[in-house]
Amino acid sequence: MSPRLPAPGCVDVYRQVLDHTLVDADDLPCGCVDDIELEGAPGEPLRIAALLVGPGAWGPRLPALFARLVRWMGGRQVVRVPWSEVAELGEQIRLRSNALRLGLGLTDRKLGLRIAKLPGSEAVSR
Amino acid sequence: MKILELFLGILTAMGGFVEIGELTFMMNAGGIFDYRLLWVVLLGTIGIIVYGEIAGRVAAVRAQPVFDIVRERAGIRLGLLTLVASVLVCLLTCAAEIGAIALLWQLASGWPYRGLILLALAFFLLVVWFVPFKGIERIFGLLGLLMVVFVGLAWSMHPDWGDVAKGFVPSVPRAGEGKTLLYAYYTIALISSVMLPYETYFYASGAIEDKWTPRDLGTNRAIVIVGFLLGGVLAASLLVVGKLYLGPKHIEAGLPGTAALAAASRFGAIGLWTALAGMFFAFAGAAIETALCCAYNTAQFFGWPWGKFRAPRTAPRFVACWVIVFVLAAVVVLTGVDPVQVVEYSIVFSVVILPLTYFPLMAISRDRDVMGVHANGVVANTLGWFYFVVISIAAVAAIPLLLLTHGGQG
Repeated sequence: MSPRLPAPGCVDVYRQVLDHTLVDADDLPCGCVDDIELEGAPGEPLRIAALLVGPGAWGPRLPALFARLVRWMGGRQVVRVPWSEVAELGEQIRLRSNALRLGLGLTDRKLGLRIAKLPGSEAVSR
Repeated sequence: MKILELFLGILTAMGGFVEIGELTFMMNAGGIFDYRLLWVVLLGTIGIIVYGEIAGRVAAVRAQPVFDIVRERAGIRLGLLTLVASVLVCLLTCAAEIGAIALLWQLASGWPYRGLILLALAFFLLVVWFVPFKGIERIFGLLGLLMVVFVGLAWSMHPDWGDVAKGFVPSVPRAGEGKTLLYAYYTIALISSVMLPYETYFYASGAIEDKWTPRDLGTNRAIVIVGFLLGGVLAASLLVVGKLYLGPKHIEAGLPGTAALAAASRFGAIGLWTALAGMFFAFAGAAIETALCCAYNTAQFFGWPWGKFRAPRTAPRFVACWVIVFVLAAVVVLTGVDPVQVVEYSIVFSVVILPLTYFPLMAISRDRDVMGVHANGVVANTLGWFYFVVISIAAVAAIPLLLLTHGGQG
């Protein structure tokens, strides 16, 4: 049976949100939805509070041994992107703000500044 | 303009078809089993056409490269396994290509092998850093076409066309010959060498680098069908050359130099230099593609900015990835392992990850919710699942056969 898209107004968290790439307001990829934070108590409606990004979010989803390895190598850093920041769901999840404002893509920025000293690092090649 | 693009695309696909693993396995297969494995070349070529078309179509319609899809459909656990395996296999392939290039240069210059490896490393780092994506694609794809010297060679050696035609009908060697296991091993190695997974990764990422849209679907189809078929002809000629040149002498094509000598024996110095140059560009293209694939796959899996269309400054982790891969690959061959040995392993392990890569791709390409009118039709679905069964069987059998035949030694 072919899976169906959810009814209008609903979101299929597993198929439309989890493990999708995030793209910021400037069209720059800035990570994947590594985990999802839900809020609500039993008997109340569950809501997505935030999308979690970073090794601290996807590491624990792996089998225990690998989870420990990820924690040791990649740290436990997690960035919380509030659900209200989500502008659009699709192939990629579009965010309303710039990645840096949300705390995403910091590693790229740091590394980028270092690379910037090399000749040809600014060249956009087609 | 559109026609020219198409023409160049086709030639690039053809020129980029062969690398060191395919060259060695094809020539040895011809040397050992005559034309009997030609049907496998055809089977593999249609397989890569099927998956290449699907990957290109998904990339054009959804602008999603392969590892974006793997992550989305296979989830983090299976996805990460696929990623790690694919990066290891691409790294091994890259190492083998660098080693083979050093061997070629050594043949031409007589300089020390290890020094040439370092020279090749520097060459690749500079080329990938400075030359734009289109340039890389075109330079190495088009000059790799010098390999057609082997098509001419096969033709000029006057093979018995009746025997060649018989090779396209699957047949198993008679039980008494004791070569059945080796035959099975070669069948799997040839399928794998034609359907190497990096080809689809690179093709799909390249389609996004070139900003394809659904309007390019016709181009996609023409490039994979015509380009890969011509590539298949090139591969088949290597098998024919192997049979006619190596078979009678019982030589195993352990070194790329053997292929060059085969060309020299017929066409003299011009043949030698054309073959050497053709092999250089073909292997160099494969080295660049495999290194870039490691970076593409990792960046796509974790959602980092990627692509040659971005300045290195804005996609620094992507750049760091391919730099690290080139360096590690060079280190692997600097240890002194035989590049041809490395490529044997990389090809056998490649077939193991083929099903892991192609299942998510099939799942997404047949899904009408996400692909709309561009979802797989009957032909793509039937062929796609047929090949999925083929590569799954090959994946299960590959490692036991590698062990049973002592790495193809019989």
